[in-house]
Amino acid sequence: MKYIILAVLLITACSCNSSSEPPPTTKTAEPADAIDQNLMIALSKAKNFHHKAKVYMSDGNTAAAIASVREILSLQFPPNAPEADDVRNDARALLAKLLLGQGNLDEAMTVVTEGIAQSQRKSFFVANLYTVKGEIHEARAAQLADDKAKATAEKHAAIEAYDASNAIDTELQKQLMESK
Amino acid sequence: MSTSDDNDFLTGPVPEPEAEATPAERAHAKTFADLVDKTLAGRTPPAMSADDRALLEVATVIRAASGKVELPAQTKRSLVEDALKQAIGGAGRSTVVPISRARRRWLPWTVASVSSAVAAAAIALLIVRTPPRTVTTGAALLPLPIDQRSRPTDSLFGPIARDHAGDATTRIDTIFADRLDGYRDRELGRGGKP
Repeated sequence: MKYIILAVLLITACSCNSSSEPPPTTKTAEPADAIDQNLMIALSKAKNFHHKAKVYMSDGNTAAAIASVREILSLQFPPNAPEADDVRNDARALLAKLLLGQGNLDEAMTVVTEGIAQSQRKSFFVANLYTVKGEIHEARAAQLADDKAKATAEKHAAIEAYDASNAIDTELQKQLMESK
Repeated sequence: MSTSDDNDFLTGPVPEPEAEATPAERAHAKTFADLVDKTLAGRTPPAMSADDRALLEVATVIRAASGKVELPAQTKRSLVEDALKQAIGGAGRSTVVPISRARRRWLPWTVASVSSAVAAAAIALLIVRTPPRTVTTGAALLPLPIDQRSRPTDSLFGPIARDHAGDATTRIDTIFADRLDGYRDRELGRGGKP
């Protein structure tokens, strides 16, 4: 029996030697800001929802188009991806325009205001939200034609929104020119 | 065997070395010699005097000490097994394995030993074996090209005119196409499939 045990130990020792040092594997570090599959999936979904909404709009089905655009707001993007803010803000601008076209001014204003508040940074898309906000104020002013004071206030608010949009555009454009 | 002569023989005066043995002594010696022969042959009388028993035990010890005593194999086994029974507290017959049968139990022990050795070897292998080293290349630590990074999309459009405020569909197409280019470049650069 001792010979059997000795044989087993010898076999084990040999196997240890033969598999002593596996070849090192090379892995590249994954940068956190790399365009990855998750980002592309989220962008692809947003693109499809936009086109779906466009089809509904061409068919006159504004309610379905609004529902499709709302889906974009709940898409899961990679954390800290700047594209997420831009895509959501652009979807909000379209959503607000659709609601505005339906005469649903309060909800349109809510969509725009939330977008501005939730934005992490200034961008042309935030500026665009201010532009749409100005349009909503203009529409309110038109509805309040009988109440001159309120209509004037809405018009002033519209001007402020357009100014804010222009200010952001100017600042960003300057930054872009400097970076080039 | 139990006579007064016997008692005299043991407790009486010691005769002279050259003195002739008396008939009684000769008869006693012959009787005792028969008794020893019977005992060695395994036919010990059931009853005898205490003196004869003491002498017989002395004779047996002397003979055993001379190394010429050879018990039959059956008797040896019987004695050893009896001793084992007593050692384990008089357990039943079924718990005591005869030596001859016990010798045939080498197989389970062999299997158990080999299994233990294999298990120990496997554990030793797991401990000794080092995990594969992971080398992070220096090139991977360099920053990615700008077009392969997630970043703001402002530079793709510039300021959005009021007339195009709701043209999000066109813009998402542009964003997707641009990021797809970067993603493909990165995947191809890593040797992957786009």
